[in-house]
Amino acid sequence: MKKTNGTGWLFASPYLLYAIIFFAVPLIWSMYLSFTDWNLISPVYYFKGFDNFIEAVKHPGVQAAFFVTFKFMAAFVPMVIVSSLAVALVIHGLPKFKGLFLIGFFLPYLASGVVSSLIVKGLLSHNSAFNVFLRNFGIEIDWLSTPLSALLVVAAIIAWKFTGYYALILTAGFESINKDVYEAAAIDGVTPSQRFWKITLPLLYPALFTVLILSIGVSFGIFTEVYQLTGGGPNYATNTWQMEIFKQAFTNLSAGYASAVAIIASVVTFASILIIRKLLEMWGKRNGWV
Amino acid sequence: MVGSKKGLTFRYLIAFALLIVMVFPYLYMVMNSFADWTQVDKKVVPTELTLRSYEWLFSGGEAGIARPWLKAFFNSVIVSTASTALMMVTGAMVAFALAKMNFRGRDFINNAVLFQMFFPAIILLIPTFLIIQNAGLYDTYTAMILPKAMSLWAVFMYTNFFRAIPDTFIEAAKLDGASNFQILYKIVLPMSKSITTVVFLFLFMERWTELLWDMIVVRSDSMLTLNVLLSQMFGPYGGYPGPMYAASVLLTVPIIILFLFFSKQFKEGMQFTLK
Repeated sequence: MKKTNGTGWLFASPYLLYAIIFFAVPLIWSMYLSFTDWNLISPVYYFKGFDNFIEAVKHPGVQAAFFVTFKFMAAFVPMVIVSSLAVALVIHGLPKFKGLFLIGFFLPYLASGVVSSLIVKGLLSHNSAFNVFLRNFGIEIDWLSTPLSALLVVAAIIAWKFTGYYALILTAGFESINKDVYEAAAIDGVTPSQRFWKITLPLLYPALFTVLILSIGVSFGIFTEVYQLTGGGPNYATNTWQMEIFKQAFTNLSAGYASAVAIIASVVTFASILIIRKLLEMWGKRNGWV
Repeated sequence: MVGSKKGLTFRYLIAFALLIVMVFPYLYMVMNSFADWTQVDKKVVPTELTLRSYEWLFSGGEAGIARPWLKAFFNSVIVSTASTALMMVTGAMVAFALAKMNFRGRDFINNAVLFQMFFPAIILLIPTFLIIQNAGLYDTYTAMILPKAMSLWAVFMYTNFFRAIPDTFIEAAKLDGASNFQILYKIVLPMSKSITTVVFLFLFMERWTELLWDMIVVRSDSMLTLNVLLSQMFGPYGGYPGPMYAASVLLTVPIIILFLFFSKQFKEGMQFTLK
């Protein structure tokens, strides 16, 4: 190919404009704001040095966001892995209706978080069929006002949404495994548990790794369901980073302080994902899966 | 591992059972939107049906809490369509440059796209809002469209797909005197229909269900998207779950129809993305 400098830049120009206006400028502006006490309205503001950061680290909402993200991950990732693995195990290689299943299981991914929150709110409302049923057994749970169940409910809604999408990835993973491997193993008298750990898992690992990374990424960006159902409560039990930043910036109008929180959130997110990714790669290598 | 005939029947039974569980929330939403108001959220399958929730939604119900649901639907269509169209055009253009053009700085742009794609976007929320506000765009369609006029994910997907298209097609078209825009529009994009469907569906769906951004840049009732309006009505319509389910149907059914309409191409396109 010969060099096409001019047209190359012309075609890439939408990205350049976008990167300057909606990435570089906001990034610098955000850092600038994080050192001020600006309140989103007043024309006057003062520099506070690192005070916003110190204040943020001490704030229960920020501390909660840090831990809630990991708690959420601990609930959501196993839930979504188990459910998408179950779906993929059942539907891979089916001779008929596989298309119907792939499309059907994907439908929850289309749901707005607002709608799924509304449905769950209805399903869990005080006199819902579900709660009345539980009451027969003397079980009475105020789902969204109990810290642990509120977190689990939000995790379950998001697991519901992503199951079909991840099952699609895992199904493709299962189907890429050569059937001959299993036949050869059967001849060698391999037990079912050996077959899973020594053959299926290593060969499925690339797909599983993708799903793990994607689901961990999702854990850092929860907003809609929490905003709709709990507002971050009860007592910060579901207070995600997005929720905390939204409250500080657009409810309390503390734009300067919220910018500092956003910077902390970004650094924590970036570092966590990087570290988890490295750990997963090491885990895969140590077991000889990669 | 298809297994015996008996095993296969068993797997079909489980698969259908799982499918029903997974789509149950949608069924629950639709049933409750038609349920008699005494039965909303009280029965798993309502026995008395009525259109009252829909009538109430569109006629405005009791004075004071009427809301422009149809206008909101219309707003969602405008914003999602414009935003998705822009994301696809810009995505294909930039990807074409990255995959099929050789120019100084290409690797730098490629790396910048990847870096930005994995960068936590939350840090940009407040200043992006300020940029929109200072540009005098607060409470406009442009405010909802412009910051979402480009998708790095779309660039990434298209770049990978375009790279797999042999250069000979492009060289041949160049010899025939075709411009780069013509090559992209007449040769490369028609070869990319399946991936275009995947990119379109993901982008449109994501845009249609956006909450946070559309919520902070718009204030007037007449500008709200359907998703934001539904979100705002959780409180005021708290005592009217029936109409809330009807509004949810209004929000959800179009996107499902769109998806089912393109499902064949979607399956083909996903084959590529999952490789």
